[in-house]
Amino acid sequence: MEIKQSSSPTSFIDSTVVPGDVVLDLSSMTNQTIKLGGGLRQDCDAISAMKAGTLRFSKPNKYWIESSQKRYVPCVEDTVLGIVVDSKADNFLIDIKGPALAFLPVLAFEGGTRRNIPKFEVGTLLYLRVVKANFGMNPELSCTDASGKAAEFGPLKDGYMFETSTGLSRKLLSSPTCPVLEALGKKLSFEIAVGLNGRVWVNAASPDTIVVAANAIMNSESLSTAQQIIMVEHLLKNIQ
Amino acid sequence: MEKSDEMVTPGEILGRATDLNAGKGAYVASKNNTIYASLTGFRRIQPSPPGSPDQKPTVEVTGHKAHGPVPEPGSVVIARVTKVMARTASADIMCVGPKSVREKFTGIIRQQDVRATEIDKVDMHLSFRPGDIVRAVVLSLGDARAYYLSTAKNELGVVSAESSAGATMVPISWTEMQCPLTSQIEQRKVAKVVS
Repeated sequence: MEIKQSSSPTSFIDSTVVPGDVVLDLSSMTNQTIKLGGGLRQDCDAISAMKAGTLRFSKPNKYWIESSQKRYVPCVEDTVLGIVVDSKADNFLIDIKGPALAFLPVLAFEGGTRRNIPKFEVGTLLYLRVVKANFGMNPELSCTDASGKAAEFGPLKDGYMFETSTGLSRKLLSSPTCPVLEALGKKLSFEIAVGLNGRVWVNAASPDTIVVAANAIMNSESLSTAQQIIMVEHLLKNIQ
Repeated sequence: MEKSDEMVTPGEILGRATDLNAGKGAYVASKNNTIYASLTGFRRIQPSPPGSPDQKPTVEVTGHKAHGPVPEPGSVVIARVTKVMARTASADIMCVGPKSVREKFTGIIRQQDVRATEIDKVDMHLSFRPGDIVRAVVLSLGDARAYYLSTAKNELGVVSAESSAGATMVPISWTEMQCPLTSQIEQRKVAKVVS
């Protein structure tokens, strides 16, 4: 087994890094603008990793660290599944599995005015978009998209919600469609909402379908494409 | 001409309003025109300044314990921002004028008091961050929890701030400060330092 010398930056791309690894040396890459994504930090000329994960690179100049955690750090424009914890005069307090409760303004709905404020009970599951996520402040959410339309945001009725890691949520939302969802979709019909904060909601006509879909998704995290398809076929055999 | 110091406690009669003026630590009860002490300390009589309309000496109570300065409406304070929220920012008042305070005072900067123009479009996160040192003026005694502060003048605002990389930032305009290590620009409501 040969040991690679880590003098060139390309040796770290797509390999596992731990906090403290210097992944890029800016003094050897002059006249380039590099965009740093999550998990990377600049110390004068050295770019070092802050999270444990895989270093990814996308052309022309974006570097970031991909990792999967159970804890969610709110980012602007993420779509998340939140649970109502409390309601105040101006905001609903929503738990989105982050470090602080998030605020959902009572007017952040399509056609929302002071006269038609929705009444959500404690425990209602909502599909939301993160509007503001500054460090140290409570995140702000909204039930509309950027142009003010409802666009599928809002309360989710019936169905079953379960928690996953953030990495699995991102895999489920990636395009082309994740193999486990494609395999399930060929045989079953169900509805799914994925929150980037590690929550997934599944709804279908019969409880059997919901349970099979949820189990398949939960099992698929560490499996390769072929293994996922085999696992789904195995689960579907049991209900048919 | 100072009389010998006698120790007085709050509520003690210091004299008649017809003979004396009430100074620091003393007040006049208008019902019976007597001057009472409001602090514990030594009773001192100061002669009236020459040229004043009435020639009554002033009686005052000078505390035997030196108290730290207390923020008053209109005084300029230096405060450290502790929490930034959607419409307010909380700050711990550290100095009143040139003197540092002895006990903890809290101040609140509301969204409408951050600057003088376009006050409803103020983003608190782009004006202050936790840990910033700001120069503000006390608007009022506020509510039971905190003084109301304002930074709505050119010379008020963030005086010193740390960037996310940990270095003290250099102000480059009234809205921006730059980190010397990473050259990143962060937004703040910067105070104009008059040299």
